[in-house]
Amino acid sequence: MSERRAARGQAAGASEGHSAGMAIETRALSKRYRRASALTDCTISVPEGRLSALIGPNGAGKTTLLRILAGMASPTAGAAAVLGDTPRQDPSFLAEVGFLAQEIPLYRRFTPEDHIRIGAHMNARWDATLARTRLEELRIPLDQRVGTLSGGQRAQVALALTLAKRPRLLLLDEPVAALDPLARRHFLATLTTALADAEGGLTVVLSSHLVTDLERICDHVVLLSRSRVQLCGDIDSLLAEHKVLIGPQKDTLPIERTHQVVQAVRTARQSSLLVRTNGPVIDPAYQAEDVTFEELVLAYMGADEASPARHLTTVGED
Amino acid sequence: MSWVAWRQYRSQAVIAAALLAAFAAAILVDGFQIAAHWHAILLACAGNSACLHQEPAPTLVNGLVSDLPYLSLIVPAILGMLWGAPLVAHELETRTSDFAWAQSVTRTRWLAVKAGLLLLAAVVCGGVVSALTTWWSGPGNAQSGGQFSPGQFDIQGIVPVGYAVFAMALGIAAGTVARRTLPAIAVALGGFITLRLLVSDVLRPHYLAAITTYYNLTTGFTPAGSAWVLSQGAVSRTGQFVSAGWGSLGTFLPASCQSLLQGPPSKSGSLSAMFSCMQANGWRGVITYQPADRYRAFQGIEAGIYVLLAAALIAVAIVIVRRRDA
Amino acid sequence: MNWVVWRQYRAQGAIALALLAAFTAVALWQGLEVASQWHSLVATCAGNSGCLRQGDLIRGVANGVPYLTLAVPVALGALCGAPLVAGELESRTSDFAWSQSVTRTRWLAAKTGWLLLGAAVCGGVVAVLVTWWSGPENAQLANTFITPQYDTQGIVPIGYAVFAVALGIAAGAVARRTLPAIAVVFAGFIGLRYVIDDFVRPYFMTAVTTYFHLTGPGVSPPGAAWMLSQGMVSPTGQVVSFAVPDMYGGVLPASCQNLLPSLGPVKGGNQSMNAVYSCLQARGWRGFVTYQPASRWWAFQGIETGIYVLLAAALIAVAFVIVRRRDA
Repeated sequence: MSERRAARGQAAGASEGHSAGMAIETRALSKRYRRASALTDCTISVPEGRLSALIGPNGAGKTTLLRILAGMASPTAGAAAVLGDTPRQDPSFLAEVGFLAQEIPLYRRFTPEDHIRIGAHMNARWDATLARTRLEELRIPLDQRVGTLSGGQRAQVALALTLAKRPRLLLLDEPVAALDPLARRHFLATLTTALADAEGGLTVVLSSHLVTDLERICDHVVLLSRSRVQLCGDIDSLLAEHKVLIGPQKDTLPIERTHQVVQAVRTARQSSLLVRTNGPVIDPAYQAEDVTFEELVLAYMGADEASPARHLTTVGED
Repeated sequence: MSWVAWRQYRSQAVIAAALLAAFAAAILVDGFQIAAHWHAILLACAGNSACLHQEPAPTLVNGLVSDLPYLSLIVPAILGMLWGAPLVAHELETRTSDFAWAQSVTRTRWLAVKAGLLLLAAVVCGGVVSALTTWWSGPGNAQSGGQFSPGQFDIQGIVPVGYAVFAMALGIAAGTVARRTLPAIAVALGGFITLRLLVSDVLRPHYLAAITTYYNLTTGFTPAGSAWVLSQGAVSRTGQFVSAGWGSLGTFLPASCQSLLQGPPSKSGSLSAMFSCMQANGWRGVITYQPADRYRAFQGIEAGIYVLLAAALIAVAIVIVRRRDA
Repeated sequence: MNWVVWRQYRAQGAIALALLAAFTAVALWQGLEVASQWHSLVATCAGNSGCLRQGDLIRGVANGVPYLTLAVPVALGALCGAPLVAGELESRTSDFAWSQSVTRTRWLAAKTGWLLLGAAVCGGVVAVLVTWWSGPENAQLANTFITPQYDTQGIVPIGYAVFAVALGIAAGAVARRTLPAIAVVFAGFIGLRYVIDDFVRPYFMTAVTTYFHLTGPGVSPPGAAWMLSQGMVSPTGQVVSFAVPDMYGGVLPASCQNLLPSLGPVKGGNQSMNAVYSCLQARGWRGFVTYQPASRWWAFQGIETGIYVLLAAALIAVAFVIVRRRDA
């Protein structure tokens, strides 16, 4: 549905027609610690201009992935290319990538104004006016120590500082977690406006749990579960590729042979299969329905084993 | 609650025990060598006390670990800084206090148990170090009788235990007031050093009224045993005092004795002639000192001062933790 | 980046400056006091060195303070060096700092550079004041190569301060937490100082050994030399100290041992020992004194400062490598 990007005021063909540069490309990216693997064999790509949702249960590896892409950590295997470059400590790379960590890292004894001035000194390209205007609109005092602000206000300050860098890629690790619903809306609206203004020059990767919010504004998704990539692609195409097949309880093998079954729910009277279609579904016994984004995400997140094995979840007994 | 406190400090207790063991090993090895040397000297001198106190005195300490006991002066400071200061301050900084104080123990009990554990550890550490150092200093004390003098007094007996307990309490209290670890450490360090200086330099000479004795300059006078000489010198009929370095003697010496002040006062010949002359002019020797038998009393008084201060600081810490917002 | 360092540490800088000012005030007050006493003592003694050595300089209330400056380097290392990197890692403000457009290397270079400079200045100012303050006392001492004179005067305090701070920074980068880094600063600084003081310093330069006739007047190295050892040595290299009880230990040749005066109060000691000395000298024994001459004091200061500065540089290099390469 190019309505998503149209809804954001972005021309439908802006990033579809010509081979858009890839904002992020990884190949078999892995991060192993002594006891466990935080990321295993992750291959994703995020085209420029997208607002990508990074979804996954806790412990899936979202933070690790974002930190590697931001250059804060290094992978143990595999490769990553961010805006065409390997993430590294280089002023030009750092200027292009904005990173907002989960803990809202700010100096508690400094005021937002102090942080703005620090940012001006630590960045060649810095839009202090943008940051100040934004905080004033949100009625956040510029001269009060950050440690005394509420959690939501701190998040807004950190976001304003990240945006003031005017980066080409924004990596945001659960930025809306601490915001109340209204503030969340406001922030997400700001993001989409910034994207529209940039006309394809800004890419955002946003990790979050709140699927409904993401669905409204994101056009790309990367789904991680248990350190592996389960899904990666434009939301529109993914939704088009998946269908829920509802049919009588009977032998489902033919379906399974032709299409990739993501999730199967069997009750006494019927089976409901969420499949990734590999061509049209011809079996008349089955009724094909569109799948919602939330259903899709939940189905893939509930996967017990790594893809591409089939995932079969049985509910109820025959 | 005690299990909780123990669990939190378990690895640090292991490290402290290891350091104590290393210190003990070094002191024991060196102390046995010193003791053996001292026994050899006792045998050679066959009980002759003048032989034992002969100049030049045989060096007992062989320089290898001889400085180690003086390092024990800083042990209390380290205890207070690394364990006392973070006790409350670190929990406040990292907000684990929100966890700890929302459990079913009161803040008072929480602090009492943890502080109690740390104070006990301070007593043990201070006691072990002090016991070893006191034993190590045995021959030195027998040879020079200096255990009452500043420096030696501070590392032997029971006062090191008092210092350790005080430093720990100071660190804990500083942590509750400052609520941040680094300022608490700075305050603990500065406060400990300042108070030690004040007490040992200003208060200690006055715990008990010192004894002042006048004597004949020509016969001299040395207090028995290991007394603490506060000042010694000569005083004229008019009350003019010259201390025993004799440096300012030239200003006050009566004219008739001036000619004797030729050579360096260290040469015994010229000193005794000078003393006779001064004595003839009405000068007397004067010495102010604390007699040796007051050593234990002074140890007890000073340790008591520090323990009282520690108790007051712990009380302050408990009050603050109870009353202030978390 | 320099402005950022200033903004972040201006409060601590102000405190350090205030403490330095207070120390300067005390040092000037007491130092002038001692200096005037010294001048009157010099006038009284009219050049008599023995008189000068015995002269009494009444010490004021603050006479312990110069010795306290031994703690300055380790305080700097623990309170300023250890939190430099570790504090930011603990509070996660490193996530903010390292996602701006300065590289970690430049960030660390700015912070480290200013802190090391500050430590050197603090150490230097304190050392200058203590050196001046201790001038009279030094003139009375027989040996200024030892703690606390050597360690608190001259230029080594600058080396100590720089090393302690570098140790704190490196320990903080490795441990990523401030308290363990502080513990490492204390243990490492005190341990290294102890080892170098007792086991390395005597050997910075080959000591001078002077032999003399036992029956002669003996040898006293001029000035405030550092006596490392003295005694008597036989032709075969056996060493005996001058202490009376040691000489009674049965090491001396029997014919000379018999000449030892019987034990008892020994007044005018050297006279009765002369027979023993003549006997030993006839058998080829000599007296010796091993020492470092007073003239080498500044050379030793330079060597020791150099050692600590080199170690500091190595630690800083380690800190840079760790900060660059480890995950944030």
